[in-house]
Amino acid sequence: MRIEALGVEHFYGHEKVLNGVDIVIEPGSFTAIIGESGSGKTTLLSILSTLLQPSVGSVRYDGKILSELGNIDHFRRAHIGFVFQFHYLISYLSLRENIALAALDPTLIDPLMENLGIERLGKRYSDEVSGGERQRAAIARALINRPSVVFADEPTGNLDTKNALGVYELFKSFSKEGTGFVVASHDKKIADYADIIIEMEDGIVKKIHK
Amino acid sequence: MITPIKALRKNRFKTALIFISMSVSIAAIFLISAISGGVVSMYSSMLKTDGDIIVTQKGIADTFFSDINRSVTVTISKIEGVKEVSGLILGAAPVDPLPIVGIYGVSENRFKSYSLIQGAYPAAGEVMLGSKIYETLKHPETISLSKKEFRVSGAFKSRIGFEDGGVVMGMDDAGEVFHKSASIFLLSLNDLSKSDAIIAEINRINPEMEAKTTDGFIDSYNQFKIIKTSSDVIGAMAFLMGILGIVSMMSMVVNDRKGEFGIMRSIGLSSTTIILKLLSETLIIAVIAYTVALGASLGILELIEHADKFQGYINGEITVTLMINVFMVSVSMALVGTLLPAIYASRIDPMSLIQRGGA
Ligand SMILES: Nc1ncnc2c1ncn2[C@@H]1O[C@H](COP(=O)(O)OP(=O)(O)O)[C@@H](O)[C@H]1O
Ligand SMILES: [Mg+2]
Repeated sequence: MRIEALGVEHFYGHEKVLNGVDIVIEPGSFTAIIGESGSGKTTLLSILSTLLQPSVGSVRYDGKILSELGNIDHFRRAHIGFVFQFHYLISYLSLRENIALAALDPTLIDPLMENLGIERLGKRYSDEVSGGERQRAAIARALINRPSVVFADEPTGNLDTKNALGVYELFKSFSKEGTGFVVASHDKKIADYADIIIEMEDGIVKKIHK
Repeated sequence: MITPIKALRKNRFKTALIFISMSVSIAAIFLISAISGGVVSMYSSMLKTDGDIIVTQKGIADTFFSDINRSVTVTISKIEGVKEVSGLILGAAPVDPLPIVGIYGVSENRFKSYSLIQGAYPAAGEVMLGSKIYETLKHPETISLSKKEFRVSGAFKSRIGFEDGGVVMGMDDAGEVFHKSASIFLLSLNDLSKSDAIIAEINRINPEMEAKTTDGFIDSYNQFKIIKTSSDVIGAMAFLMGILGIVSMMSMVVNDRKGEFGIMRSIGLSSTTIILKLLSETLIIAVIAYTVALGASLGILELIEHADKFQGYINGEITVTLMINVFMVSVSMALVGTLLPAIYASRIDPMSLIQRGGA
């Protein structure tokens, strides 16, 4: 899915935090949004991912604006995955059940867990595994319906360097198989893994590296 | 079904609070309905014993105030289709040391409706006691009623709690105690289809009196309506309290689980799915609370029935109809109480999962 932001501005009250953003996210690309804290990464990511409506401008998904996409729940479930800084795994469900909650096709769960190296943790609960394993389960939940694109805001914010690099590796390998990733992070190391790096500063795109 | 149970177990403390609040409300509804229903049904079955038609003083609000002339029974008993007419005086008076006891003056032909467990039916100057009061007074030889001594001729057992805790005597003695000839007549008929004609006939004989089918009388009896309305009002209050308990606890539950519902929205589960999840959780609590409340209510009613203090006057009945009605009430309590918090949960914006500010 090709995502296109056109003249996007965003205000929180009177404070303008995005000041005219025009970008294109190509299908299947691994895009990193980097920049200082407060530069507008999260706001931009939220707008690109349907969670937030821009104050000015528009976002198109394969040429269609949000209101033309039909039921937003169906659209998210079929096309978009989310990974947040906190794993938000449901604590009373096992890791496998957490993934199953999102799954449209349950036969995909086990192969995916294997792919992510958490196949033996299916029966465990989120408080019985490590931080890295939790985030892998959250990533599995985001990937289970083979979305066109996964949005992640600071997905490694709670992980040590080793686990953080593991997550970037995962994104990279899945993006090679066609899943797009849009990841907002203040961690510059992500630049070594992403195809495209969008550098934000004070609500504008300062630079795009390929 | 597994998932809601897991969620409930995870939130054990709040689940327990919702469960307790529901159980108490449901038990309160059971008890108030059972007790008021019991009063009505005891009094009704007393009137229905050999009473297809009831005759009272016209326009009285309470059978206790009714005063009609016993001599009319002779005329009434001659009406075609009337099998038997019995007279009753209904009263209440202190019987040393009990502050208040139901006193039933009945015509001799009605004695047979009491099954004796001891002694004989009362002659003049004698009374027979219901088994409950007979036990409470420790098998007395005599009782003192309205400053007069009456010999105890025997004791009877009645499944009607009022009677079992009461004193039965002849019409003449009761007439003297309560200064009236009769409170009501009860007629049994040979042929129920003639009841309308018979009622019309009786109402013609004496305009001071009013005859009704016993069923019709019970339906229109004001005292029963008052009891029923009060119990409905108290029941409705218990229902509201139950709902408020659920609303406040479920709001806290939803608040605790914001992340969970936000993530459900982000993975594209519909609002309806989330609402149904929460409704199924409270429905499970409701069903368990209902079962526990039913058991507790039956136990409490059993205790009350056998408590000396109440003389068997309180005799709650939990009928199948009541069980079904209260079950519906419990389910609606759960649904109504959960709906608002569930709608709130279903609208939690996944945006709230993205940390604002931050790096
Ligand atoms: N919900 C909000 N209400 C008001 N201001 C906000 C809100 N979210 C973010 N901001 C402000 O918008 C600016 C950009 O924030 P954000 O998009 O979170 O940047 P980043 O993710 O790069 O740190 C910051 O100044 C932040 O304080
Ligand atoms: Mg941010």
